[in-house]
Amino acid sequence: MEQKLLLPNRYKKWGLVLLLPSLLLGILVRFKDFQFSFLTLPIGKAFVKEPHLHLDEAVNLTDELALTGIIVSLLFIAFAREKSEDEFIAHTRLSSLQWAVLLNYVLLLLATWLVHGLGYIDVMMYNMLTVLILFIIRFNYVLNSNKKSVE
Amino acid sequence: MKNTIRVERAVLNITQQELAEKISVSRQTINAIESNKYVPSTVLALKIARLFSKKVEDIFSLEETD
Repeated sequence: MEQKLLLPNRYKKWGLVLLLPSLLLGILVRFKDFQFSFLTLPIGKAFVKEPHLHLDEAVNLTDELALTGIIVSLLFIAFAREKSEDEFIAHTRLSSLQWAVLLNYVLLLLATWLVHGLGYIDVMMYNMLTVLILFIIRFNYVLNSNKKSVE
Repeated sequence: MKNTIRVERAVLNITQQELAEKISVSRQTINAIESNKYVPSTVLALKIARLFSKKVEDIFSLEETD
């Protein structure tokens, strides 16, 4: 059973290699307000849609870089082909996606009722990544638990 | 659905890995089928039966809950 929309197996390794620096950059941006100065671009008034808000006319792209790196590396890890793709792995991948989406929204609903004020922005930020993270955890857990067999 | 793959493997004296290679699937798949966690497709069931030179019904059988 040929599965489309999958990347070659080597992307899993590349994803892991890219994830570490991206995650580190993301943590520095989020908790230390870190910025690469060379990534500051003067965007001018043309891009500021609501001039009365007095938005900055320069934008720093460090956070864009960090989030792009994290999302791309998670996508690489999540959608890399397994070394031996077959129908059980395809089945496990789909059921793990279903499981991850469901659990993600259960967690989002809980957070919606439990987290209030500015903290909810954090919830939304982490929620951008949790579907992929939950999927990767569950998919690899099921595959690994079937590797340990009683011969 | 239950199956007798583990028994048939013992008769031929082959490991899960060897069976997996013979029918071009992963070892996880053989393990999941043997432990009744996964019901194989018709194609895969036919391949397994052919390898053991038996009918599909001799290896796979329905349970009361099916």
